[in-house]
Amino acid sequence: MIKYLKQYRFYIILFLFLLIPIIAIDTSTRAPRNFWPHDRVIISLTAPIQAVISWGLDQVVSGFQNYIFLLQTRQDNLTLTDENRKLLNTIAGLRETEQENIRLRKLLNFQEQFTLESVVARVIARDISTEFRAIRINRGESSGIQKNMPVMTNEGIVGKVLRTTANSADVVTIMDLLSAVDAIDERSRARGVIEGYTDDTCLFRYVLRTDDIQVNDILITGGIGGIFPKGIPVALVSKVNRKPFGISQDVEVKPIVDFTKLEEVLVVTKASHEALPQEPSVRKVSAKAIEKGEPPPEKKGSTQ
Amino acid sequence: MTRILLQALNAPALVLIAILGIAVQTSLFALWPLNYFQPDVVLLIVIWCALRRNFIEGGILTLIVSHLAEIHSAVPRGTFNVSYMLVYLLVRGSSRMVVIPDLSSFVIVTLFSSLIMKLSSTAIINLLSPHSYVLRNTAFLLFPGAAVAGLLSIWGYQWLEKFDSYTYKNSRSAESLEQDLNLDSEGF
Repeated sequence: MIKYLKQYRFYIILFLFLLIPIIAIDTSTRAPRNFWPHDRVIISLTAPIQAVISWGLDQVVSGFQNYIFLLQTRQDNLTLTDENRKLLNTIAGLRETEQENIRLRKLLNFQEQFTLESVVARVIARDISTEFRAIRINRGESSGIQKNMPVMTNEGIVGKVLRTTANSADVVTIMDLLSAVDAIDERSRARGVIEGYTDDTCLFRYVLRTDDIQVNDILITGGIGGIFPKGIPVALVSKVNRKPFGISQDVEVKPIVDFTKLEEVLVVTKASHEALPQEPSVRKVSAKAIEKGEPPPEKKGSTQ
Repeated sequence: MTRILLQALNAPALVLIAILGIAVQTSLFALWPLNYFQPDVVLLIVIWCALRRNFIEGGILTLIVSHLAEIHSAVPRGTFNVSYMLVYLLVRGSSRMVVIPDLSSFVIVTLFSSLIMKLSSTAIINLLSPHSYVLRNTAFLLFPGAAVAGLLSIWGYQWLEKFDSYTYKNSRSAESLEQDLNLDSEGF
């Protein structure tokens, strides 16, 4: 036996070298992926190095940018003042819409509570492969971050948490080739799935050819899947190719978040979206008011 | 004694170099547009293992460093293991048939290995997830990636040669160490 093992040693080892990676693929497709204990040790070695390098790089880049931007400050100031004026007008209009929205919700007897709790994290590294677009952040399980939590910025959705260690977490972005986010067109309410495509483009797939999609439409999260809260901006439609035949249309979208300048993100640790029950008497009155087309009855001490 | 210890520490130190290299690669080359030019540190180490280590040691080191790459990526598990092992076996096999004389010819090996590695990982990902757009992405990044890997290899292999020399792992140092040990055992 030992004689044969020695004789065919090379072939046995070659077989093992081929077998081990194939087993790794097989086991990973069946079990949910997370870090093994020895992976966590390695990540605990690399994460601090990555954090120090990215911090140093940020300092250099931001210092340089601050100097460059200083040269254009006056021009920027004028542009921003103008923009501010326009935004104030928009806010005034939105306030009116908000009040109207509250009135209509009351009329339809529908109230909801929407709360988001989040943790701020810093991007410390990117994916080792150029084909995949994951990022690593400097917060992990010790900050309450868990697998599949949504990650966003003040602009919109970034992605979801893929794996965690005690002090770091890997986030798979919406640009990743294997990522898929349920989304709806804010204007026409057409539903589809946003998938990663190139470094700056995603595809809005499975949208019916008859759906009304136009360039510059905003796509928001649809809420299906239970990972991303509903109504958060994801992307902007950049190209629509509606063929004369077929079931769906080709829609290219650009993410709202600028991934080339992504430095800090928010990890949503708790997102609750609850409908609150109302008193039966109010419900009856509201139903009658809808039938008659009357405005809703005001409560005493209402802040509307 | 120190020489033997250094020789024994060569493999763990190579793994540590890989860890450090990956950390630098993923953070220093994270900013746009540097991310298009990130060198593949793991590929260089795999080729070095294929050409300058024995079959078993090189193979085990390839499995370890490819796993290191996988935990720093969102790539499906096992993809890098298979791709880097394929590169390792192909380079090792071709070194038996083709003469790869010096460090400068290693650059050509690196260029071809980079292409093989990217194409094999694309093929695996396509098998695992046929609806993804990996093929298009690979077509864009195939040759720039190979060029950067080739460029880094010019210095990379020189550093690895020095590292092997310091840890008595290259053939010349190993021979001199063996001679010294023989002389010691003979009482000289």
